[in-house]
Amino acid sequence: MAGHRSNCIAQAMQLLRLPSSTSRVTVSRAPSHLRPPRTQTRTYATSEEAVSPAAPEIDFSTSSSRSPARIVPASPAYFSGSPRFIDHVLKLEKLQTKYSGLPTMEASEAPRMAWFKLAQFRDFVGEPVPTKKYKSLVKILQRLNRIQPAAVPAEVRSTLESFLRPGNPYAQQLAPPTVDESGRARGRGKRKESSAVVHLVEGEGEILVNGRSLVDVFKRVHDRESALWALRCTQRLDKYNAWINVRGGGVTGQAEAITLATARALLVHEPALKPVLRKAGVISVDARRVERKKPGHVKARKMPTWVKR
Amino acid sequence: MIVRQLAARQGRQFLALRRTPVASRFFSSEIPTPPPMEPVVDTPLPEAEPEKIIEEIVPVAPAEPGQASWKKEATHRHRFNRMGTSMKVAYNPDSLLQNPPKPSDITLELLLASQTHLGHSTSRWNPQNSRYIFGIREGVHIISLDVTAAYLRRAAKVVEEVAARGGLILFAGTRKGQKQSVVRAAELARGYHLFERWIPGSLTNGQQILGHCETKVVNALDEELPDFKADLADRPPLKPDLVVCLNPLENVVLLHECGLNNVPTIGIIDTDADPTRVTYPIPSNDDSLRATTLIAGILGRAGEAGQERRMAMAKEGKTTYEPITAQALRLDPFTGTAPGSEQAKKQN
Repeated sequence: MAGHRSNCIAQAMQLLRLPSSTSRVTVSRAPSHLRPPRTQTRTYATSEEAVSPAAPEIDFSTSSSRSPARIVPASPAYFSGSPRFIDHVLKLEKLQTKYSGLPTMEASEAPRMAWFKLAQFRDFVGEPVPTKKYKSLVKILQRLNRIQPAAVPAEVRSTLESFLRPGNPYAQQLAPPTVDESGRARGRGKRKESSAVVHLVEGEGEILVNGRSLVDVFKRVHDRESALWALRCTQRLDKYNAWINVRGGGVTGQAEAITLATARALLVHEPALKPVLRKAGVISVDARRVERKKPGHVKARKMPTWVKR
Repeated sequence: MIVRQLAARQGRQFLALRRTPVASRFFSSEIPTPPPMEPVVDTPLPEAEPEKIIEEIVPVAPAEPGQASWKKEATHRHRFNRMGTSMKVAYNPDSLLQNPPKPSDITLELLLASQTHLGHSTSRWNPQNSRYIFGIREGVHIISLDVTAAYLRRAAKVVEEVAARGGLILFAGTRKGQKQSVVRAAELARGYHLFERWIPGSLTNGQQILGHCETKVVNALDEELPDFKADLADRPPLKPDLVVCLNPLENVVLLHECGLNNVPTIGIIDTDADPTRVTYPIPSNDDSLRATTLIAGILGRAGEAGQERRMAMAKEGKTTYEPITAQALRLDPFTGTAPGSEQAKKQN
């Protein structure tokens, strides 16, 4: 170890001699400004020393210093290139840590807020903010929005309001659907090319699909199960009668369109079932549709086999 | 279980049981017995203090059932935390951030505890760092702590003097986890921070990159002078007077631009970094967040001292720099003529 060390020191001293001696020269020539002068002439990129050496040390002995004196950046994040955005982020993060102990509620219960769209936010700060960074900012906003309304500090409330887009798109709420005078609840659902309309009445569990029995319409047990899954998973199979109209698409599409329509109709009767149905995956809409075929392709995306000439 | 609740004892659960004397329910006799928890109720409990703390957190807001229960819970929690053993000397991971040491507090013990001595594997060394290296341990270079302390004190002096002369100090640390320390140091030293990528060309092509960023004119007491807002429009973008770089290895471009523009730099130089890339090297471990936080904190404190000195001088009416006159501010920075006369020329 010792041998290695002495060797390396000798090696380093040789290496050190060059840069240190050059910097000494520049120090002695430093004039009266705080920022030392430029002594290095411009080198070509191809020349050996493409990386510029560090600036020489500051000469504090002279009294007068740089001018212009006090034009300063408006924000401490000036040199990041997007100072206003970073100021906003830091402010929100500060609030988040300050009020992290306050009681929160579920994200689904939190008041719905219409934050700036990305383009609006870019106008708001006047800087080209990347999508990803704006998303992380919205995440902080949503966390702050989850603080229980009674405990929200005025500071947080006013800050959150400054990120809302003008006008309140969530102000008008649609009236929730109700059961009609003869006790029917109507629900509509779509899946693939099929669309189904379900009329749900309290009853003994009779089900008619397009005027026929369920077994008649869906030969596969799987389809029958999935069509009535909303009633099955809530154990309501024998408590409702369903009168179903379904059209378009194939067997699977029809069955799953009925699932969605039944679930929606059931929610009209019993809104409290929503979390159960949500968990059962019955009220999530499957919005996938068949992708169109494109010219030059065999199918939507498949390319014809490459043939040599 | 019932019998245990009746027995006198100390403990955290004890207080929790105080408000719900469940035990009385289990007695078959109808004789009204005093609630078994009474002796505890008599003991004085410091009620005022927890209430105060909670009201600090919670602003004026109408009490709701949810909030009331939370408040109650917080009160309980606070009360329980006061019971039992008290932790006198505990390691607070944020103490380096919240209350960083001053340059006068630098000790070798502090540096050692902050892991500033750990270098890199010997095979990765830069021989120019040999004068900062104390030795080798388990194949890793150990940085000499007294050298680190000396260089750190010098760097702190530099930061303080630049701050006292009204210079712009940029703290740059772009590694993951350095954000907080960089922002804190800039806050202390009233400097500027950079915790994301340095945009190449911010100094050499400043007009394009920093041109849209706002600047302001301040007087000696750092109060903004809004009258000159319009005159700042066509000024060249600002350059820092000192750059403190916590990870010089990743910020080659920043240091190169600083070199081109003659901006002095302070950098944490690990055993694998090139010490000639910065003006004032601080030989230290740059891979430990604790080490970089410590160094940033010390430099931030130094900047704070410099700013305080400058403000004290400003209150006496002295400045270490030549303030720009109102007339000079109004002049065109490129031609040196008044804006009105130039317009007149163009019209003619």
